[in-house]
Amino acid sequence: MRLQDVIDNAVTEVGRVLLGKEPQIRLALCCLFARGHLLIEDLPGMGKTTLSHALADVLGLSYKRVQFTSDLLPADILGVSVYNRNDASFSFHPGPIFTHVLLADEINRTTPRTQSALLEAMAEGQVTVEGETRQLPEPFFVIATQNPIHQSGTYPLPESQLDRFLMRLELGYPHPQAEREMLLRQPGVSSQGLGLQQCIDLEQLQIIRTAVTAVHASDNLLDYLQRLVAYSRQASEFAVGLSPRGALALLGCARTWAVMDSRSHVVPEDLQVIMPAVAAHRLVPNGDYAGDGQALVALLQRNVDVIKP
Amino acid sequence: MNSQQQIPRNALVWMIISLFTLAAPHVSRLPLWVLAVYGVAALWRSMVYRGLWSFPGRLAKLALILCACAGIYASYGSMQGLEPTVALLLTAFALKLIELARRKDAYVLLFLGYFICISEFLFSQELLIVLYSVLNITLITTALVALHQPAQHRFNGGSLRLAAVMLTQAFPLMLVLFFLFPRIGPLWSVPIKRHTAKTGVSDAMQPGDISHLSQSDEVAFRVKFQGEIPPRSKLYWRGLVFSRLTDGAWRRLKNHEMASNERWPTPITIDDEPLRYSVIINPTQQHWLYSLRYAESEQAGIKATTDYLLYSSVALEEQYRYRAHSWPDAALEPKLSDWRRRTELQLPKASNPRTRQLARDMRAASASDGAFVAAVLAMFTRQPFVYTLQPPRLGSDPMDRFLFQTRRGFCEHYAYAFAVMMRAADVPARVVAGYQGGEINPVNRTVIVHQFDAHAWVEVWLSGRGWVRVDPTAAVSPQRIELGLEQAVATEGSFLADSPLSPLRYRSISWLNSVRLRYDALTYQWQNWVMGFNSDQQYRVLQELLGQLDTSKFILILLGSGTLVLLPVAGSLLARNRIRTLSPLDQAYLTFCDRLSRLGVMRSPGEGPAAFAERAAQALPQWAPLLQRLTEIYCDLTYADADLSVTRRAQLKQEFKLGLRRLKRARQAH
Repeated sequence: MRLQDVIDNAVTEVGRVLLGKEPQIRLALCCLFARGHLLIEDLPGMGKTTLSHALADVLGLSYKRVQFTSDLLPADILGVSVYNRNDASFSFHPGPIFTHVLLADEINRTTPRTQSALLEAMAEGQVTVEGETRQLPEPFFVIATQNPIHQSGTYPLPESQLDRFLMRLELGYPHPQAEREMLLRQPGVSSQGLGLQQCIDLEQLQIIRTAVTAVHASDNLLDYLQRLVAYSRQASEFAVGLSPRGALALLGCARTWAVMDSRSHVVPEDLQVIMPAVAAHRLVPNGDYAGDGQALVALLQRNVDVIKP
Repeated sequence: MNSQQQIPRNALVWMIISLFTLAAPHVSRLPLWVLAVYGVAALWRSMVYRGLWSFPGRLAKLALILCACAGIYASYGSMQGLEPTVALLLTAFALKLIELARRKDAYVLLFLGYFICISEFLFSQELLIVLYSVLNITLITTALVALHQPAQHRFNGGSLRLAAVMLTQAFPLMLVLFFLFPRIGPLWSVPIKRHTAKTGVSDAMQPGDISHLSQSDEVAFRVKFQGEIPPRSKLYWRGLVFSRLTDGAWRRLKNHEMASNERWPTPITIDDEPLRYSVIINPTQQHWLYSLRYAESEQAGIKATTDYLLYSSVALEEQYRYRAHSWPDAALEPKLSDWRRRTELQLPKASNPRTRQLARDMRAASASDGAFVAAVLAMFTRQPFVYTLQPPRLGSDPMDRFLFQTRRGFCEHYAYAFAVMMRAADVPARVVAGYQGGEINPVNRTVIVHQFDAHAWVEVWLSGRGWVRVDPTAAVSPQRIELGLEQAVATEGSFLADSPLSPLRYRSISWLNSVRLRYDALTYQWQNWVMGFNSDQQYRVLQELLGQLDTSKFILILLGSGTLVLLPVAGSLLARNRIRTLSPLDQAYLTFCDRLSRLGVMRSPGEGPAAFAERAAQALPQWAPLLQRLTEIYCDLTYADADLSVTRRAQLKQEFKLGLRRLKRARQAH
C-alpha cells in the first residue's frame, strides 16, 4: 500500500465522524506527522473532542483526556507519588499525561502554573516529578483546545506559549450539507460509537516521519520562505514578526505537506497551505492594524511574491 | 474611537511646539491675553492627552469663540484691518488645539500652521524672519510626519530628521520654482493698516521733527553706486523740498498750488558722465524717493518734479528698488520764473520780526547775495550756537527765540532760520529735507542710510548759479557733515539714547561691528536678489541667460528644470527598490504569466505557480495540458532541482522555451 493511500484512508476515516472538514483533518495529521502539537481554538460544540478522539483511533494510539479547570494542579496531569504502607515506600502513580494522544480540553481555563507544566512536557517529551525524570511514550501528541479568549474566566496563553504549538486550527461551522448528513444520523449512535478503524500503525508513522526528513527544499523555496519571514519583521503592520522557530515550523510543516501530497520536494503552495495554521498565532498585529493573525498571513502572502522580485 | 484616528503623542508634542514657534514672531503685535490663550490651550490639550481633563463641550467651545472675538474687538477696537485679522487667526489656531481629537483636526491645524507661517511676511520680510520661517516650516512638517508614524509613541527626533530630509530634497525644486515660475500679480490685496503708519521724513517740517526722527536706528535705504562712492560730505539725499512756510511749519507745494505752466519740470541736458546708483528703500507709505542732486530715472513708475526730485506714483507699501543717475554739479534753474520767485520769497507777515530785521540789516551791509549768505553762515559760526539733539521748545515767533535766546538747535532749526533770513532779505530760498551721509559698508561697498541720518538744509537761488545748496548745520557743527551724527553729538551722549540695545551704539567693538556689517551686506543681497526678484527682473535675468523668450520655450524650461531637480530624488527612490536581476528561468516564467494575462488570466500577487496553473487551466481548458506541462517544468527546475541532472535541466529548459513559443502562436491565433 502506498504511503499516499494510507494517509488518504486515514483522512477519509476521520472524515466519517467529522463531516466536511477534510482540510482541517489533513492539517491536524500534518501537525502530528511533523512531531508538533496542535491547538484548536473554537467555540464549544464544534467537534474539537471528536477530531482528537478520531485521530487517536485511526492511529491506534492510546488516548486520554483532561478537562482543564481553574483548580487543576500540575500533579493532576503529571502524576503523583503515593506512600504505600505495605512495602513502606513511595510509588509513582503516573498522571494522564503518560499517553500517546492527550486531549487538553479548554486549556485556557486553568491557571498559568498548570498550563506551563503541560507545555514543558510538550517541549521536552519527558516529565520530571520529585527529582526523577520519566520519558513520555513516543509518539506523544497533545491536542489542546481553547475557547476564544474574550470569553470570561479564561487565562489566555501568552504568545511565548502559543509558539509551542506547531499549529493552531479553527474548525468553524460545518457546511450545511455536511450538517444535514450529521443530523440524519441514527439517533443514539455517538461519533465515538462509529468504531473507527486504525489506518496507520506505528511503523507507518515512522516511515512517514523519515520520508519528511528526506524532502528537498530548493534554494528558490528557501529564498521565498526567507522573504516571507523578512517581510513579517519589517512591514509596519506587524508588531511581532516570525521568529526563527516560526520559520523552522513553516519549513517542517511544508515538508510534511509535500510528503502527504506524495512529492519529494517542497513547492510554494505547500508553504501557502500550511501558513494560516502555522503562522497566524505567531504573528501579532501592530496596534494600528485592524486585522488579526489570519489577516496578517493573507497580507504576507499577497505582498511577497513567489518569484524573487 | 478608532486607533487609526488618534493623534500619536509624538505628533501632539511637535504640534504644540510649532504652535508656539509660529506665534512667537507675532508677540509684539498681539495683546497679552492671546498669549494666555496659547498657554491654556497647550495645557488643556496635554491634560486631555493624559486623560485628566476632557475635550470641551459644545457650549464651552461656543463661549470660547465668542470670548475670543470680543477680546479681539476690545483690544483693537475693530475687527477689520491686518492686525486684528491676524490676531483672530492666531487665537483660533490656539483654540483649535483644544478640540484636536482626530487626525482630520490635526490636518486642519497643520495646514493652518503653514498659512500662519506665511502671514508673518505681511509684517516683515527680513532675512532673519525668513530663516525663522524655515524653522517653522520644518517643525510643522515634522508634526505632519509624526502624524503618520503611529508606532512612535514617544516624543523623539526621528520625525524631525525625516522632515528635514524631505525639505532638503524639496529645496532644489523650490529654487526652480522661485526663479522660473511666472510671477502672477496679486489676486487680492491685503489692507495694510498700521498703528505706526508712516515712517521717515514727513511732508511738513516743524522744529523738532527731524531730531525726533534721529532717535531711530532703522535703515531708511541702501544705495549701491556703480563707480566710486562720493565723499560723505557730498551725499545729500534730497527727498522733499519745502517752499511754503505757513503756521510755523515748512510744507511742500501741492500740485494745485502751482501755476499751471509750472507743473512740469523742464529737463536739463548735460553731457557729463552721471553718477549711477541703485537704491533699495524700505517701505515708507509715502511717495517720495531719495536721490542726489539733479537725478533722473528711466524706471517706469517714477516721475520727476519741478523741484528736481524723484517721485513714485504709488505709495511705498513694500520695499522698493529703483535705479537713478545724478549730475551733482548741474546748475538748477538758472532762470527763475516770476511765479517761482514769488513763491520762494513768501513769508508770513508779522512773524519773527527781530529775525527779519536782522536779515535786512545784514543784507544792507553786504555787497551781494553771495556775500550775504557768507555773512549769515559766519554769524552761525561766530556766535555761540550749539548743535544738539535735545533742543528746547520754542513758542510763537520761534526763530526770534532761537536766534536771540536759546541758540540751541538741530539741523531743522538752522535750516529754518537760515531760509527765513534769506527770504526776509529778498533772496529766494527753500528748505530741503532728506538724509545726509550714510554709513559705507566695506563688505559690499553699499551706503547704508539710517533714519538718524535725516537732515534738513537750504537751497538758495543766486543769479547766474541757480539753486545753490547751503547747509547752515555745517557752519555750526562741521563734524555732522564730515563724520556723521554720532560724532557730532558725542559729547552730549544723546546718540540713540532711547535704544540702548541698538548694535549701532557698539560700533567701537570691532568684531560686533564686523558682524553687523556682514549681516547688512547679506540683507542687501537678500533684498536685491530675493525680494526684489519681481516679474521684470525675472524676465530680464531669463532673457540674459537664454535669449529671446516665448511662452512655449518658457514652459519647456520650467518643466525641464523641474524634472532635472527631481531626477536625483526619483533616482535614489529607484535605487532603494531596485529591481534585482531575475534568473533566465524566472524571466521566462514571467513571460509565460504575461502571455497568459493577455489571454485573460492574471496571476494574482503571491499566487504560487501550481495554483495559478490550475486556475488558468480551468479558464482556458483548450490550453490546459500545455499550461500544466510548462508549470510542471518550471516547478521541477525551481523546486526539485536536486533530482535533476545537468542534461535533464537543459532538456527541460528547451522544452519550456518551445512551449512558450507555442503559447505565443496560440495567442496570435486567439
